[in-house]
Amino acid sequence: MKGESIELPASAAATIPIGRANRRTTPWRIDPFGILGIFLLVSVWQLLTIFVPSSLLPAPHAVTGRIAKDFFSAQELTYFGLPDASLLGSMLYTVENVVIAVIVGAMLGAVAGLVTARFRLARSIFDLVVLTAGTVPILVAAPFFLIWFGVGRASAVMLVLLYVAVTLYLFAQKAADNLDPVFEESARTLGATSRRIVWDMLIPGTVPQILGGVRIALAGAWGLEAIAELLGSQYGIGKAVELFAGVTDVEGIFAALLVLGVVAVVFDAITAFCFGKITAWSVVARPGGR
Amino acid sequence: MLFEPVEKSMIVLNGVSRIFRRADGQLVRAVADITLEIPQGQFVCLVGPSGCGKSTLLQMIAGLILPSNGSIRVADSLVTEPSPERGVVFQKDSVFPWMRVIDNVEYGLKCRGIAKGERRTIARDYLRLVGLSHVEHAWPRELSGGMLKRVAVATVFANGASVLLLDEPFGALDYVTKRQLHDVLLKLWAQSDSENRRTVLFVTHDVDEALTLADRILVLHSGQLVDDLDISVPRPRTADSLLLAEMMNRKHVLLAHLGLEGATALAAQMEVGS
Amino acid sequence: MSAVLRHRTSLLVLVGMAGFWQILSMIFRAEALPGEPMVPGWQVLVTKTFLSLSDYWQGGLGVESVASGGRPSYLASFLAVISNSLDTVIRLYTGLFLGAVIGTLLGLAVSWSGWTRRIVELPAQFLRTMPLLAMVPLFQLWFGTYFIGKVAFVAYGVSVIFFAGVVNAVKNVPQIYIDNARTLGATKFQLYRTVILPSIFPELRSTILLSLGTAWAAELGAEYLGAQSGLGYIIVYSEQFAYLDRMFFVALLFTLYASISYAIFNNLSLRLLRWAPRAGRDVLVELKGIGNALS
Repeated sequence: MKGESIELPASAAATIPIGRANRRTTPWRIDPFGILGIFLLVSVWQLLTIFVPSSLLPAPHAVTGRIAKDFFSAQELTYFGLPDASLLGSMLYTVENVVIAVIVGAMLGAVAGLVTARFRLARSIFDLVVLTAGTVPILVAAPFFLIWFGVGRASAVMLVLLYVAVTLYLFAQKAADNLDPVFEESARTLGATSRRIVWDMLIPGTVPQILGGVRIALAGAWGLEAIAELLGSQYGIGKAVELFAGVTDVEGIFAALLVLGVVAVVFDAITAFCFGKITAWSVVARPGGR
Repeated sequence: MLFEPVEKSMIVLNGVSRIFRRADGQLVRAVADITLEIPQGQFVCLVGPSGCGKSTLLQMIAGLILPSNGSIRVADSLVTEPSPERGVVFQKDSVFPWMRVIDNVEYGLKCRGIAKGERRTIARDYLRLVGLSHVEHAWPRELSGGMLKRVAVATVFANGASVLLLDEPFGALDYVTKRQLHDVLLKLWAQSDSENRRTVLFVTHDVDEALTLADRILVLHSGQLVDDLDISVPRPRTADSLLLAEMMNRKHVLLAHLGLEGATALAAQMEVGS
Repeated sequence: MSAVLRHRTSLLVLVGMAGFWQILSMIFRAEALPGEPMVPGWQVLVTKTFLSLSDYWQGGLGVESVASGGRPSYLASFLAVISNSLDTVIRLYTGLFLGAVIGTLLGLAVSWSGWTRRIVELPAQFLRTMPLLAMVPLFQLWFGTYFIGKVAFVAYGVSVIFFAGVVNAVKNVPQIYIDNARTLGATKFQLYRTVILPSIFPELRSTILLSLGTAWAAELGAEYLGAQSGLGYIIVYSEQFAYLDRMFFVALLFTLYASISYAIFNNLSLRLLRWAPRAGRDVLVELKGIGNALS
């Protein structure tokens, strides 16, 4: 190939960072003031325990001590005939349910959302069903699932799955709708087939918003799973909360809730990190960044 | 370098018009009964005020939309859909943000099943020609607007299109970057010898840009072709070239068509028949 | 698709769903318990089911309760539906209002100084990540299972959302408005009242719609786990007897109320925000879809 290339002025070339994406605000950058804030929160909590009886508000150290004590084996839980009698065991059960439900629900919802974005007939049918389902809290289906699927894993997982699917449906559909048509047009002028347009344009182009939706759905999934367990389950951290509540063991409730909260936070941080890496190319705000 | 007319007609439009239905139900004629021929290897600029239908016309030639009436033939075959033969550089940033620069440039080649090693080489060559070898593996979001346009141009050339359609591609860029991109475009275009030279249709509302680039300027107004000017000033054209009598003359004509200064002068000129 | 065609299709789909349900009920004749079909058809719902709701009328207004020997009647059912609906709805809106006010005030207070915002941000984010629905038993312990308990729970859930929404909205007020006001001589208080408050209105409206979903979920959850009246109470009480038809009937009612509340808030806020630049209003309409599912 003959011909000279066009040279950029040296200064311009030097300022371009190659390959490594410029650091943007990461979703979980720790502000030192935030650490101060957490410290203050715990202090206020400790302060309150002076005024409020321990039967209503356990002290912070009591709660952490309780978590440590009951982590691998919890006498209180065994007493009620709970098989996986420990905070860890209960939490694992809950985590399993949530992970399965989120993965399957996200796939179903995202695919449905993308498909309906492209096919109007499917859309007008699905949209109405989903939007009615979306107006009402998914929780309303919980008792039905308990009857249809029995008391056990299935009903809780189905409930959370439904929630995640509906959420992802909305996110995926919106992402596909908002994908700049110029990309598909450009691909067509470069000779891409319909199949390529789906795999090279539609899917990569909507991945940031879809992953953002997964992160948001995951956050809501924990609570839904917990309450499903509260309603009717033999295992899980929600069941643990129920048992503790039954004997007004506030310390135990706090312990279980704290474990659940920390797990939710950790999962959120991990998914934020991983999703951020996957969409390093993204021009828009990081997926799910608050 | 001067354009030498070739026998072969590359783009042929016959009675082409395009009607749209607006949101309120009213019918709008964006392009009205256009017939024209563009010979192979000619660099044509399509000029006109906003809303005159030039983008619509370009999209029809690209095959992205169909004419309501008439026919468009490129290289003797009817245009009904987009094809890699007719490369398009869009006004908006069309570089795919989820692919690295080099993957963008070789995308068209990948679609056509060209082997990885070969398409890498071709892509690298064109990146070198547009001066972006050093950002081969960068993500599009790391590049400036001007650099993204170079990538778009490289992509279209690398894909081997014989007709290039550019829809106000440099409109969003600053003056200096725009001039640099003119050089890039002309250089790539002039690469091949006259038999293989690509035919270019470049839409713009910038009169100076049209005068700098084109062999021939078509003026569109309200969807109709109102003028067809030849530019015979040899390339490379500098800022001084624009001051030549022929160029100034053409510029006045164009400005008048756009409804700016010189409307009366144009009328007078048309009476004299120059 | 034109608007008219879309409406017609929506209607068709609604009718289709109802018909599909009926067909399902005729195919799946399985019964959870003798006399209690798993999938009750419409003929069952409108007669037997509605009548059975008389069970939930606690007596009064001259109509005797079924528990003390009265006969199920359409009047009793009607009264039962009205009173339980009112219970649920009143608790919900009270909690919603309280939570909105508290959350907004706290959010504005914290945003007054950049330092306080930064200090509070991380712990607030942590509290927000704590799953709301898991905390029902805690609130029951603290506030009981009566009116106060439900309202407190809903208010908590809503205030957390409003707090975050307000803090975020204030943070995102375009700096140029603030700079402009300050160069025109506004004091900090005037700035808050005349620039920041109006600027955050669009986002506040979207926060309301988001919190509406949470409020309904919180109310339902609280009623599921301990209540003496209300729609959630009826559902969970019926569930214990596998009265699927009653559950379905009440669930439909619930859906109706929730949809109505969305429609009201959506229309109201769109009307009040006619001055907002287009982006603000689009966000509302879009968020309606997403916010609903996030409950």
